[in-house]
Order: sequence, then C-alpha cells, then structure tokens
Amino acid sequence: MRPGNSVNLNYIRNDFLGNKGVSFALLIVLVLSAFLMATGAMVMERLFGAVDQLFEEARPSHFLQMHKGEYDLEALERFASQHPEIEAWHVQQMVGFDGKTLRWERPSDGESGDLSQSLVDNLFVTPNREFDLLVEKDGTVPEPAVGEVYVPVSVQQSQDLRIGDRLELSSGGTVLEFQVAGFVRDAQMGASLAESTRFLVSETDFTDVEAMDGGRPEIIVGYRLDDESAVPDFQRAYESDAALPQQGQAVTIQIIRLVNAFSDGPVALALVFSSLLLITIALLNARFVIRGTLEDEVREIGAMKAIGLSDKAIMGLYMSKYRALALFACLIGGLLAVVATNLLTQSVQANYPEAPPSPATFLVPVGALLVVYSVVVVICRRVLGRIRKIEVVGSLVHGTTQSEKQTVRRARREARTVRRTSLTTYRGGNVSRRLAVLDLRLEAGQWMLIPFVFFLASVLMTLPLNLFTTFDSPRFVTYLGVPETDVRADVAFTDDADAIREAMVADMAEDDRISGTQTFANVEYQIEGEVGWEGLGVEIGDYGSNSVRYVDGERPAEGEIAMSLLNAEKYGLGTGDELTLRRGEELTTAVVSGVYQDLTSGGLTAKMQGEVPGGADAYVVYADTVGGADAAAIASEYGDRFQSADVVPMREYVRQTMAYVTDAFKRAAVLAFVFGVGVALLITCLFLKLRLASDRPKMGMLAAIGFSTGEIIAQVRWKTLLAAGLGTGIGLAFAAVLGGPFVGALISMAGLGISNLAFIPNPWLTYVAYPLVLIAAGYLGALLLTARLRGADKSMWIRG
Amino acid sequence: MSHTHNVILECTDLSKTFYSTEPPTDVLDGIDLTVGDGEFLVVMGASGSGKSTMLYNISGMDRPTGGRVALGGKEITSLTDAEMSRVRLTGMGFIFQQAYFLKNLNIQDNILLPALKATPKDRTGAVKRVDDLMERFGIAHIKRHGITQISGGQLQRASICRALATEPAILFADEPTGALNSTMTAEVMDALTSVHRAGTTIVLVTHDPACAARGDRVVYLRDGQILDSHAMGAWTEEGAERREDDIFAWLAKKGF
Ligand SMILES: Nc1ncnc2c1ncn2[C@@H]1O[C@H](COP(=O)(O)OP(=O)(O)OP(=O)(O)O)[C@@H](O)[C@H]1O
Ligand SMILES: [Mg+2]
Repeated sequence: MRPGNSVNLNYIRNDFLGNKGVSFALLIVLVLSAFLMATGAMVMERLFGAVDQLFEEARPSHFLQMHKGEYDLEALERFASQHPEIEAWHVQQMVGFDGKTLRWERPSDGESGDLSQSLVDNLFVTPNREFDLLVEKDGTVPEPAVGEVYVPVSVQQSQDLRIGDRLELSSGGTVLEFQVAGFVRDAQMGASLAESTRFLVSETDFTDVEAMDGGRPEIIVGYRLDDESAVPDFQRAYESDAALPQQGQAVTIQIIRLVNAFSDGPVALALVFSSLLLITIALLNARFVIRGTLEDEVREIGAMKAIGLSDKAIMGLYMSKYRALALFACLIGGLLAVVATNLLTQSVQANYPEAPPSPATFLVPVGALLVVYSVVVVICRRVLGRIRKIEVVGSLVHGTTQSEKQTVRRARREARTVRRTSLTTYRGGNVSRRLAVLDLRLEAGQWMLIPFVFFLASVLMTLPLNLFTTFDSPRFVTYLGVPETDVRADVAFTDDADAIREAMVADMAEDDRISGTQTFANVEYQIEGEVGWEGLGVEIGDYGSNSVRYVDGERPAEGEIAMSLLNAEKYGLGTGDELTLRRGEELTTAVVSGVYQDLTSGGLTAKMQGEVPGGADAYVVYADTVGGADAAAIASEYGDRFQSADVVPMREYVRQTMAYVTDAFKRAAVLAFVFGVGVALLITCLFLKLRLASDRPKMGMLAAIGFSTGEIIAQVRWKTLLAAGLGTGIGLAFAAVLGGPFVGALISMAGLGISNLAFIPNPWLTYVAYPLVLIAAGYLGALLLTARLRGADKSMWIRG
Repeated sequence: MSHTHNVILECTDLSKTFYSTEPPTDVLDGIDLTVGDGEFLVVMGASGSGKSTMLYNISGMDRPTGGRVALGGKEITSLTDAEMSRVRLTGMGFIFQQAYFLKNLNIQDNILLPALKATPKDRTGAVKRVDDLMERFGIAHIKRHGITQISGGQLQRASICRALATEPAILFADEPTGALNSTMTAEVMDALTSVHRAGTTIVLVTHDPACAARGDRVVYLRDGQILDSHAMGAWTEEGAERREDDIFAWLAKKGF
C-alpha cells in the first residue's frame, strides 16, 4: 500500500470514530438510497427477463383474434395461403364458463372451495402443438391424460390448490370431474390484468366439455409470423378482410408484452422514484455535513495549506472519506437489494419462469449503484471545492472558511439586517420565541436542510398514498369508463342474453331497493383505419344520466360517439370529428362528442348514444341502490336469480379489476411511509446534533444572562417545529397541486389509457394524519437531541 | 467606598469534582468565601487553579458537588434550574473574556435582551435603563451597530452594560481584559471602577496585577482552595502604582 493511502485510511477511521453519530446517519441515508435504486433496477431486470423467458418457452401468438359464433375456415385457409410471412397458424377451440361453475375439493383433508368470486372468464382448451403453449413451472409442455386438468398458476395461487385436488365443473345439470395434474403458466392470458384464463384438458374430455349446456364456445385464431415487426401490417390486412372471424378482441404481441410488464412495473417505478428522492436527501445531507466539517476544521486546513499541501491533496484526504462511505453504502445497499428483490418478485416468480442469469442480471443493478456512487462523489467533490477558496490567513487567524472579501461582505449584510430589526419595538410577550424566529432567519442557510428534507419526505409519503387511495376509491370507476353506480351486471356469451337482460331490467324496475337502471349493449363495429376496416367494440345505450367523466368534450347525444383516450389517439380523432362505422354491410356516421379515460379492454373502447339494440354480444346493466341498501346482498341475490349473468357490487368490480395495482401501491405506500418518517427523524437528529454543537457558545451565553435550560431547549424545539412544518406544508401543497399531473404524465407515458389522473385522496390521512406524524417525527428528533442538554454543566457550553 | 459590614455572598465548603476524567478531578476543594455588599473582590491564581470553575458554581451555571452558596442571605444551591436562571437574570451579571453576543441583534438589542426578559411588562423602563447605561459607558453612538462592526473595548463595555441592565446585586467578571490591549484594558477597568463606586458588588478574576489593584481585596486560589486573602482598601488613581507593587510582592510570596 502506498503511504498516501494509509494516511487516508487512518484519516477515514479516525474521522468516522470521531463523529460516530453523524457519519452513521449519513451512511444510513446513503445505504437506503443505494438499496432502493438497486432494488428498483433488479425488479425491473428480473421482470423483463422473466417475461422474455416465458415468451421463449410459451411462444405466444404474434397476432390473435378472439371470436364468438360461426366462422369460415376456408376463408382463414385462403388468407393464410396469401400471406407467406405466416410461420404458423391455428384455430384453438375454447369453451368458457363462469367462476361459479367451478369448485374444488381436496380428498386428503376435506378442504374445498369455489371460483364464484372470480370475475375472469374460465376457458377450457386442449394443448396447442406449435406455439401459444401453456407451460409447466419447469418449462415442459404438459399433455393431459383423460380425467386430468392443468390449472393456471393464478388460480392455483388464489385458491391454494395442490396437485391431486379434484376440480368439478358443473353446468346445465352435468358434472365433470377432473384431477389436478399440474399448474401452467400462460403468456397470453396469465397476467394479472387479463380478463380470461385457460384450463388445459385432454381431447377426450374436451368433447364432453363442449357438449355441456351453459358453456360458451369461442375460438382464438392465432398467428406466428416470421418477423415480429410485421405485426401491424399483418393486423391491418387481417382486419380489412371481412370474411375472416372478427367477433371479439384482436390482440398483438406488443399488447401482451405491455400487459405483462404492467403487473410489477409500477412497483419497480415507485422504488426508483423513491430512491431518487432519497438520493436528493442524502446529497443535501452530505453537503450540510461537509460544510460543517470544513467550518470545524478550517484551522487544520489552513495549516495544511501553510505547510504546502496542494488543494488537490487536501480535497483527496476529505474525498477519501466520502468515497469510502458511498462505496460502503452501495455494497450494503446492493446486498440488501438482493434479498428485497427476492421478496418483491414472488408473484413474478409464480407467474413467470426464472430468467437465466445474463450479463444484464448483474450489470443493471451494478450500473444503478454506479450511478448512485458517482452522483454522491461528484456532489461531494463540488462541495469540497470550497477548500480552494479557503485562505491561509483567514483560516488560521480568524478561523473562517471565508476569504477577507467574503467576511467583509457578510459583516455588511448582517449589519444591515440588525439595523432593521429591533427588540425595542417588539410587541410580543415571549422574548425567547422571538429569538428562535430571528435565529431561523439568520441561519436560514443551515436550517434550510430541514424544510427541504421534510418537503421531500412528505412528497415521498403522500404520492404513493394518494395513488393507493385513488385506485382504491369507489370513484375510481370513472377511470374505467364506467359510471359511478353501486351494482354492475354483465350478461354475455349466452344465446338468450336478450331475454335475460330484459327480465333483469324488469325485475330491477320493480325492486324498490334499486333505482336508476342503465343498460348498454356491446356491439362489434368496424372503423376505417389507416389501411382498411378494423374492429371496434362500441357500447351503445342512453348516456343521458351516465356519470362517466370526459377529459375533453362531453357525453354523446343522438348521432354522436365518445371515444376512449387510446382510441382517439389511435385514429387521430378529436371532439367534433366525424367518423364512419360499419356493421355487416350497414354504414353509420357519428360525430365524436368527447374523450374519456379507460383502462379496460386495453383502453380501446367507444360509447355511442342510441337505443339498446337486440342481439348484441354482451350487455351491461348498471343500477344504484336506494336508501343505503346493501349492494353486495342485492348483487348476490340477482346473481342467483340470473345464473348466466355476473352481478357484482361496483366496489368489488373495481377491486378485482385493479386489485393487483392497488395492492402494489398499498405496499409502496406503507414502505414510503416507513422510509419517509424514518429518514425525516434520522436527518433531524443528525442536523440538530451538528447544529447544537456549533450553538454551544451561544447557549452558554444565554444561560449566563438568565435563560433557563428549559427555555433554551424550547427555542430549539420551536425552530425544529417551524422548519419541519414549513417543509411538510410545501410538500403537501406540491403533492396536491402537481402530484396528480406528474403521476398522470407517468401513467399516460405508459400508454394505459389515462392521461389525466386527478387524485382521490383520503383527506384525513393525506392532510391531517400524515403531516402530523411527519412533523411529530421531527419533533421527536428535537426531543431526543435536546433531552441531553438538561442537567448538563452549562459552563461546558461556554468553555467549548 | 471601603468595606461594608453586610454580607452579600457567602460560600461554605463549596466543592466541585469532575467525574468525566479518570481519576475524577477535585477542581474546587472546600471553598469558604464571603463577599461584602459593595465590595470589589479580585480572584487570582495560576491557570487551572479553578477560578472560572468557582464563578460558574457560585452562579449556578454548574451544579456544585458539595457545599452551599447564599446570595443576600438566601440559600441558592438547592434551587431548580428555572429558579436559578431567574437569580442569574435579576441578581447577577456576567462578563467573560470573550464577549458573547447574538449576531442577529444589534448592540442595543443585545443589551436589552436580559432587561426585557426580566421586566417584559415595562419595556419603556427597560429601554430607558439600557440607553442610560450605554450613554454612561460611552457606546450610545454605536447602539444600532452589528457586533462585528465595533472594537473589542467597546464590545466589553457593551458586556458591562448588558450585565448591569437588570440592576443585579453582584457582577462576575472572568478575565474581561484578557483579550484586550492596554488602552482598551484601561477603558474597561475604568468602567468597572465606576460600577463599583456606584455600589455594585464585583467579583473579578484576573491575571493582571494592574487590574487586581483596582479591587478592595484579593484572594489567591491554588488547587481549588483559597490560600490567602489580602485586603487593600479603596483604590485611587494616585495610589495605583504603589498598590500594584504591593500585589506583586504578595503574589511573589505565593510563587505566582
Ligand atoms: N468539565 C470539565 N471536566 C474536567 N475537568 C475540567 C472541566 N472543566 C474544567 N476542568 C479542569 O478544572 C481545572 C480548573 O479549570 P478552570 O477553568 O476553573 O481554571 P482557571 O483557574 O479558570 O484557569 P485559567 O486561568 O486558565 O482560566 C482545570 O485543570 C481544567 O482542566
Ligand atoms: Mg478561567
């Protein structure tokens, strides 16, 4: 080891031991920053890796078209023969069932359950041969034997199923029994936002399933292309061919990938965002500590300069400490991140295969840590740049880091201020408190740290909380393109949908617990896209009393249509534009009345004013309860009466649709709360420790002229309270005014169909409890640090 | 003014041990000291003999390890911190070697601070008292100045004004001239003499025999004990030089 290095090492050790508390607090904040940054990076890398790995094993379709009803196989064959870019294609037969037709039982211990609470469509299928495969955890493609079923992992998790359990499918009076032989991952429909899920059975059993009453036959036409980038052209070609089956959603591999990534993406984003805030705090903190150190050690620095050490050498000495701190923090943070990533990616691990380690597995988190390290080092070096300005004479004689000129300028400034303020005219009763306020003003440069940190901490805490309460709010339905009502009923996929819908609406009209029934039909239209006709699901009904919110324009009147945000973008439509729709051979024109936000159906929906038509694919009925009637009870009553309808309280609908995201935000909110309060407390303690040390002569003087320890302590607490309150207040205002647009912008960048997210905060939590807790944390720091002042020999303060 | 017979301050068997060192140090070791009302007492002794420690323990800045202190016949060693600071506010004044002032207040406000705190109801009275004091000690013209804008002698005279602003019974001065040149030292000592003549009791710690000559009596401290006491009678300008020599001789006997 070179001699220079060992000097630095000695310095680091002595300095760290000398300022144990301060160095330790700084280290903790740095560790937290590095930890969050690395975790965010690792979660993202794992997630994308896992999605890629699953895509490799399962080979999802590049383009797929769902379809209900008759279809023309010859047309499909003709289309395939005309398109040489198709590598492989198939038509998968499926039969869909409601959750309530499925129950399970475990013979070994008598446990049982059913899927009636689930809103997703359960599709029974046989294995595909070439692509769009359902794969087991070890990557194998199972071949179910007769009597066996392979269950999707999402169902396995929600029901806690085990191999050997019995699954019972009962519909239309028939009961089929299967033995659970394993669990499969589904690249196409496995993601938490997917609306259906696939069960795998043998060809023999599938024939029996097809024969059951109450099942809804459906097909998926799937294509693999030579080249993924050809998908948009291919989709246009498919959708413009009217002979091809198109009664259902069309999905591209890009959308599948997006939906998959959205599941854990927000958590990773929240982590990275939090780490950015924490890094800011760490840097402010480092700056404060470094400046304090320079003030304290100015004479030593002057002496070093006097004996001829270069600025660079002196800076190197100090930098060695901060480099060591940053390096150590990154190491610890990185190690902790490995553990945290494992915990945070548990759902990823269940739904996706583990990606084999690649260079990225290692490089992404290390790169993130490197960023943290470099930022810390660069900022520290800049703050230490002040060393260059320290003048030998000033530092040795006057003990100041400031040059002659600066000292003079500062004295002048101070003189001006003291001339203006005066105690002689001070009207308040409490001199001690007045002093505290004057102190804050004089030392604003130092005290700034506290409002800054509390500002950042309150933003850090409030944003995830507001996101959580927003996504968890019953009013969030307006972001799902759904009116704010109490009950939602879906009537779909049955031949007698019209009859059921009419009977239900009639019953609801009779029911005095229910009012304001609204019915809408979902009809597949086609819209003229860039190249040709493309599918467009349109909801038709009377929007007169519908409470969906519009980001632009208003609800559709007769002859008008409202478009979801993503559709409006896709087709370049704005309020007032006219468009032509096609259904069969019949053409309709409509004027766009407005644009609304929607997260459902990939965000691609439309709403048209009109009579509810008969013979639609699906109907939705919304109803309000009257006089506090129990929406859940009503929903389950109607669900029983109309077996083929899904009736749920709206609260439940939102919960299930958004459950995954809501849970993620909840976890993020809890984490942010703990981190925010912890960091605020930590920094307050650190700050006060340094502050009180340099305030000792002043406190000693105040004690000598007759201020009690109690009053001196109260001054410190009062200052802390003011500073913390100021920062928290600004933070709240910021989160309230700019937080929504900011997060909204992030979400809209993700292309999810929301551009304009207005927070729905829980006012008590956001504006009362959170700030109180945060300020209390600061106050606690002041209590802890000032407690030691009591009972001390005050001469020590003056002696220094 | 010479000796009076009323006792204003009385310490009995005052001791202070610092336990922060290993082994604990007995810095004050049974101090018995009586200060008469209106007396100008000088405390001398080698560096580290415990002079400052004695002042801090008498004034309740520090808690004595043992013994008792009475001010104006009232025992103050057992007072609470708040009560004790009240005593410091209204009954005692302090002057240190280094003048500690608040940077964010001008000279007048700094001096006004204890006065205003002592009588918050009577602001006009406090301001008047402070203005008179500043006039008397020749710093009225700089009352709006910041503390970095005036000389050391002026600062120390401002310290005296602040210490007197609450009209205390006793004034403690711990080497008030230690950091001043001879002209400024004379300024400050003249001021103290004038305070003494106006009837305020003074306890002055100093290393400088010329300053010590201003007192009525000198006590000598060694290793936390009062070794000797030397009464001199009232100071006059004419007799100053002779007194100085007298003190020198006395100190020499102590091995100073
Ligand atoms: N808090 C403390 N802990 C331990 N020892 C202390 C403490 N304060 C003072 N001392 C010791 O007590 C002794 C007396 O200190 P003090 O300051 O009273 O001396 P002094 O007579 O005022 O000296 P000087 O003339 O240098 O001001 C010194 O040896 C000092 O080191
Ligand atoms: Mg001393």
